[in-house]
Parts: sequence; structure tokens; C-alpha cells
Amino acid sequence: MTTATLIRRRPGLAGIRTDRSWLFRICLGFVALLVLLAIVAPWIAPHDPNAVDLGSALAGPSGAHPAGVDASGRDTLSRLLVGARTSLLGPLGVVVFSTVAGVAVGLAAGWRGGWLDSLLSRGTELVFAFPGMLLAILIVSVYGPGLTAPVLALGVAYLPYVSRLTRSLVLAERERPYVEAYRVQGHSGLQISLRHVLPNIAPVVLAQSTINFGYALIDLAGLSFLGLGVPPLTPDWGRMVFDGESAIQSGYPLSAILPCLAIVMTVVAFNVVGERWADQVARRDR
Amino acid sequence: MSTTTEPHASTGPDAALDIRGLRLNLPGTARPVLDGVDLTVAPRETVALVGESGSGKSLTSRSVLRLLPPGAVAEGRVLVEGRDVLAMNPGELRRLRTHTAAMIFQDPRAATNPLRRIGDFLTESLRLNAQVPAEEATERAVRMLDAVGLGDHVLRRYPGQLSGGMLQRVMIAAALMGDPTLILADEPTTALDVTTQAEVVGLLDDLRGQFGTGLLFVTHDLGLAAAISDRVYVMYAGRIAETGPAEELFQRPRHPYTRALLDSTPRLTAPRGRLAAIGGQPPSLRQELTGCPFAPRCRLATDVCTERAPALIPVADGNPQPHLAACHHSDQLTEVTADA
Amino acid sequence: MPDTLREAGDAPRPDTPGGRDSAAVLEVDGLCRAFGEVKAVDDVSFTLARGGSLGIVGESGSGKTTTARIVVGLERADAGRVRVGGGSGGPQRGRAARLARAREVQMVFQDPFLSLDPRTTVEAVLRETLRLHFPGRDHPARIAELLDQVGLGAREASALPRQLSGGQRQRVAIARALAVEPRILVLDEAVAALDVSVQAQILNLLADIRKQTGIAYLFITHDLGVVRCVTDDVIVMRHGRVVEAGSTAGVLADPRHPYTRLLLDSVPRPGWDPKHIAAARRAL
Repeated sequence: MTTATLIRRRPGLAGIRTDRSWLFRICLGFVALLVLLAIVAPWIAPHDPNAVDLGSALAGPSGAHPAGVDASGRDTLSRLLVGARTSLLGPLGVVVFSTVAGVAVGLAAGWRGGWLDSLLSRGTELVFAFPGMLLAILIVSVYGPGLTAPVLALGVAYLPYVSRLTRSLVLAERERPYVEAYRVQGHSGLQISLRHVLPNIAPVVLAQSTINFGYALIDLAGLSFLGLGVPPLTPDWGRMVFDGESAIQSGYPLSAILPCLAIVMTVVAFNVVGERWADQVARRDR
Repeated sequence: MSTTTEPHASTGPDAALDIRGLRLNLPGTARPVLDGVDLTVAPRETVALVGESGSGKSLTSRSVLRLLPPGAVAEGRVLVEGRDVLAMNPGELRRLRTHTAAMIFQDPRAATNPLRRIGDFLTESLRLNAQVPAEEATERAVRMLDAVGLGDHVLRRYPGQLSGGMLQRVMIAAALMGDPTLILADEPTTALDVTTQAEVVGLLDDLRGQFGTGLLFVTHDLGLAAAISDRVYVMYAGRIAETGPAEELFQRPRHPYTRALLDSTPRLTAPRGRLAAIGGQPPSLRQELTGCPFAPRCRLATDVCTERAPALIPVADGNPQPHLAACHHSDQLTEVTADA
Repeated sequence: MPDTLREAGDAPRPDTPGGRDSAAVLEVDGLCRAFGEVKAVDDVSFTLARGGSLGIVGESGSGKTTTARIVVGLERADAGRVRVGGGSGGPQRGRAARLARAREVQMVFQDPFLSLDPRTTVEAVLRETLRLHFPGRDHPARIAELLDQVGLGAREASALPRQLSGGQRQRVAIARALAVEPRILVLDEAVAALDVSVQAQILNLLADIRKQTGIAYLFITHDLGVVRCVTDDVIVMRHGRVVEAGSTAGVLADPRHPYTRLLLDSVPRPGWDPKHIAAARRAL
């Protein structure tokens, strides 16, 4: 508060930041490239990701197969590219669901307070207490494989992180004098919370959701690796690691290592971008 | 109130504080935030540094302890007891902050850790920086609390259990712990109620006499500055606009800014009705300054004011202490005052 | 203590704060509010004349801010009555009551840095208020008029709060309050956070606006110089109670209550004796 005041009163100090912008730019570029590749994957993939060529199974990189071929004779590069779609779409679903539902819950709890706050906070704490992966495994084992069930399950599991953050931000924002000023003007609580409080806290929540994206990607890949995520033939990074197990045993690890690398780099990139955004929001001159 | 006599007697090695030509540059600004500040405080003297927000008054007082914002580049000399603060190594700087100069901040609540007892807060600096044994430090804390009119039961209290006025007295006791020769008070009464303000100011004045410290009192309140200080410096846009003995400066201001500030303050004695407000805004840090920084808001301004920055020159003689103003038209101002 | 209340002993004046007259735009009667054990507001009564200006003076903990917040409806009273513009003043709920209250009383807050939504431009702030209260009117013209009234131009209209100085922000807050066309404007330490030169600009602006529009001010402040400058009448509060009330000139020239005298003596001036004040404060 005091530092904020200091910075505000001296416009010259606002521009000072120690930045590691090169790392952020590389990661942002990587994320952008990844999204672009995922969108155009069906057109640029050199082979059909499910076309089996048993004759060249476990072959190393070559002109026809730049990233080699897996144990079932499928082109690894094509599977990586097309697999990026499922691997990014899944976490996106988790993040969208958990953000929308979490913000709604957190906003209602923080703004309204009282019994509603107790009810919603205890409810989300209950979800917190239950491991997200376990929840997902439970739902998948009931509904069978497919992307929808694990995404929904993880969405519910991630909801408390978002709703708790939102609630605490709303509690702080609600105390700001501008909220009272709108009350005196005759605006209703709903109007104030949706039109003013929400936009003011949104950047922080979105930065957190970006970080959540990375975690959701790992969780979904883990489920796929356990055979609980996407159906067997769908190209997906987690599934590729699972399929590559036998290739590693045969001494040809490339078809398992590449999707691992893709997962790790994507998660790191999303975390760096999210952290940076969170930092920028925290330092924002209000 | 003052014990100093000769003009410039307070400069030199025996001054408690002697700032010479202090310039401070911050990254991302078009002009220095402090531009050639000269300021002295003699032992046992109370000097007020008056200015509005952004004038550089707080930065000036903070630079005495070298509490500078990140990336700041300082030029000039800041001599405390004859030694240059800007050239000190970390050890000397710590000794300076523990023993020689102490600062009292505007908001005592923000300057204390709510989870530490007052006793810990008071003795911490002595125990850690000067290796004074805990018992001895506590003994001194009790004596200092007594000096500010608080009992030793306060030692065991937490900041949250004290009122703002009491806490500011604790801050003053903390400032006295290292037996400093100079106290820097940065708007020490702004966060307090008016009746509490009187108490804190009276206390500071008492202690200054009792402990022989110099006091640099930073404030935005001209009335307060006039009431308590021997000499006053008025700052505007990082420069000293006017300086002189308190009484003379307020009765016969020789810089249009000082005069405008006096006229725009709603006072109990002035005639009622519209205030003589100063139009416009102080110059932004993003804006380079040529000439006098006050020229755009000044009704005496002529071409020379926008072309050439006025030097801080003597405007009145026959005084034991110099009265200086940085204005090309300060003689015109006397006439204006005489007419009014 | 009640014997020092001027309304009790003084010659009757038609516009004394305690007097009952038909031109009153705000009548507060026997207001009480306790927070736990602390009586923040204790039996406070006053009247604000139409187009008048009443100052409430006190230190922190005097209950002056709580009183103001009850008047604008941000805080409820435990007991007592607030009659605004001759209305019934009872607790009302719902959209219509909320808007009606807002059209009677508006408020300008202390901190111009915090009382504006950091993400909303000046123009949008005003448009939002006008849409709520006057749907279907010519908003751009009214916005220009309001900005002109508070001395802001088209350049400031599209600015975000952080691009404005403290004084400019407070002008925006005043324009926002005026947009509703209220009969009463509550100013809660509205110039306390501003620099002296800017404070004078805002005080002059407030005087001009009152002359032009006939709006009434309830001016909450700790600064007696400010009170003298902008109010006709004043009440002095201490520990939740009104200790003195009367015309501003009268109270400042001839204070009857020792606390009012202490407040006056506490204002720093040349030849000021802080030790005397400290002693008087302890004696009280």
C-alpha cells in the first residue's frame, strides 16, 4: 500500500523494472507457435498420423520420417503435430470450465458474504480435500474413455484454486472506496460487481489460469499415459508416451522422448508466461 | 530558538547536516528530481523543508540516510558531521543510520512491525548493529520512553495496542535510541490529529534542546513550519525556491511561489472569501525544464524567466542569517507585498 | 455539556443548524450508532438549509465520518432519523428507493486516488451515472457541460484516473456527484489529500458550484481553516457527540466549549505554543 502510494506519486518510478523479458518472449513465442501448429496440423503433417507402415517400424529419423517411426509403424512427427490438438484442447477445456465456474463461485462468495460464503467456501474445500487425479480416474472408470469425462473431472478439481483466489481478490476490491462511490450513485450490487469489480480482478485470475493450463496438461497427459484419457487411436502426447513404452524396451526411445519433451516445454512455457503476467498485474500502476 | 549566529556559520564540519549541490537523477525522467539542492542544519537548530508532493522534499531528507529509490544516481555532497554520506561504505552507512542520524516517518503504523513488541522494536537496532547488550539497550529504551512521556509498560505492548499519537512518540524514542546528532522528521504529524500534532511537535522541540540534536522537519504545512522552525527552505520542482529565517520568510516572502502558497492556504486570520489559488500544475518529471520551473504559473513571469533559471541569491541584508530567493523578480514582489 | 450548545442559549437565528425551518433540505434527529461497545455517533441532531453549507468538525474517532456515511446510506443508524428533502426517511429497499436516495444526496470521498475505478475513463464514469439516472437524454452534451463546470476539458474526458493528477481526479469525483443533480453534496475530507495550491482551486470551485446550482454542502473536515472558508454553519463533534454548534463565524470567533477552543489553539501559527496545547488537551 505504502509502496504503491510512493510509486503513484512519483510518475518517474513506475517504469523501473528488473526484467527477464527474453525468457518471457521466447516462451510466448513458443506458445504462439504451438497453437499455430496445432491449428494447421492436418494440412502440414507429412503423413496420416494413424497410417501404419509396419515395414519401417522403429526406424530412426530419415527424409520420409523426420522424427522417426514408432513401434506400430506410425510417423512420430505427424502424431506429434496432430496430437498437439488434443493435448492443448483438453487443458483448454479444463481451464475454461474451472475459470468460469470458479470466478462465479468466488465472486458470489466474496461479494455476498454471510451464509452463501460459508456454503460455497466449505463446498470448494470439500473438493480440495479430494485428489483431482483420483476424481478423474473415478469418473473415467464410470463413463469409459473419452476426453469429456477427464476434462470435466479436472475442471471440477481445479475450480477451488480459482474460486479461492477470486474470493480473496473480491474481498479486497470490495473495500475500495470506488465501490462505495458507485453505491452512493445508486448502482446495484450486481452491476458494480460485474461491471467494475470483475474487470479489475480479471487479470490476476487469468494469469493464474494460464499457470493452471500447464498443470492441467500434465494431469491429462498422465491420465492418457494410464490409458484413461483419450481413446487408443487418437493421437495425443500422453498416449504417445504410453505407446512408446515398448519402443524404449526395444532400445528405440525417440518416439517416447519427443512427446515427453513437447509436454515439458509446453508446461514450462505456459508457466513462464503466466508468472510474468501475474507479476505485471501485481506491479501495475493503478 | 536557534543557537547559530553568523551567516554560513552552520556550514562546514561542525554542521549537523550540510548538503551541497545535490542532484538526483532517476531512470525514465527527463529532468533531475533534485537539481542542485543546498541545505544546512546546525546543531540544536530546527529547519523546516516545505514543499508540495513531488517537490523533492522527501527525497532530500531520505538522501541524508542514502535511502534512495532503485536506479537513482546522486551527485554532489551530503555531509553529516562532515562526512559524505554518498561516499560511505556499507559499514559506515549502518553506523550513520544507527548512531548519527535518525528518521521519523509520516505513518508510525506503517513503520512498525505489528507482530513485534515495542521493546524489541526499540532495542533491535542497538543490539544488532552496535552489539549493545540486551539489558543495557532495554535500560536506554526505558529512559527514552520516559523522555517522550511514556511509561516502561509500553515495552511489552504491540503497536496495535497504542494510539497514533503514542506510537509516533515511540517512533521518536526509537530515533533517539542511538543518540543521534541529527533527526530527520518526514511529515511526522500529517497522519495525526491536530491536537496530537501539537503534543508531538512540542515534544520534538523539547528533545532537540535536551539532546542537542539538529532537526530537519519536512512538511507541506506552511503554518506548522512557521510555528516551529528557526529557518525554512521552500522547495519547488526539485530546487530550493527560497530560504531564510522563518518569521521573515513568512512575513516578507521574496519568491512568488512562497507568496502564492501563503495566499492559497485557508487560514483562520485571513479575510474570508475566495482563496488566491495558484493556477495550473507543478511540472511533471517527464518534462524538461528551461528557465524557472515556476514561470508557467507565475504572474510576475517575463521572457527572462522562461529563458534562464534564476540563481538562489541573497535578497535581504542586515540579518544574522541569509534570506535567499531564486527569482528574477524578487524585488518586484516586495512592492506587491507593500501594496497589499 | 449541553449548556454549551448554542441552540440552547443563543438568540434564535433562522438558519441555526439546530433550528427547524421549512427550507431544510436535510434534517438529522437523534442519530445513534454503536460499533460494539463504542458509541461512534451518540444523539447527533442538525439541520442543513436548502443551498446552505454546514461543516462537521472533529478529530479521528469523533463520529463525523460515520454521521456522513449514515446520511448517504452507506451505514445504518441504530436510532434516530435522517430526513432528506422532506421525505419520510425510513429504511427503504429496492431500485426505485435506491435511485431516489441517490438523487437527493451525493458524496465526494477523501482519497481521489482510490475513489475512481482505475479501469474506467472519465467520460465513461459520467456516462454510466447519466444512463442510470437519466436514460434517454443527450448524454454527450451533458458530459461536456459537467466537465466544463468542474474545469476539465475534452483532453481529460478520455483519460483514465491514473493519467490525472490528484486535483483533476477530485474534479472528476465532483462532476460524477453533480451528474445526478442532487440537492445535497456530502464532502468527506474532500480536500484533505490535496496539496495546498490544488486544495485552494477545489475550494474555490466548490464555492462557485454552490453559487450556480444552489446545492447544499455537508462538509466533513478536521481543518478549521477549510471550515471557515466554505461553510456558513458548523457543528463540532467529539467522542460521537455534538459539543458545539452555531454559525461558523460565531463559533470560530468566540468558541464556548473548551474542546472547540483547544481545536482552534491547535492550528499552528507563528508564536504558537505546543506545550500549552498539550497541557490543555490533557486537562480536558
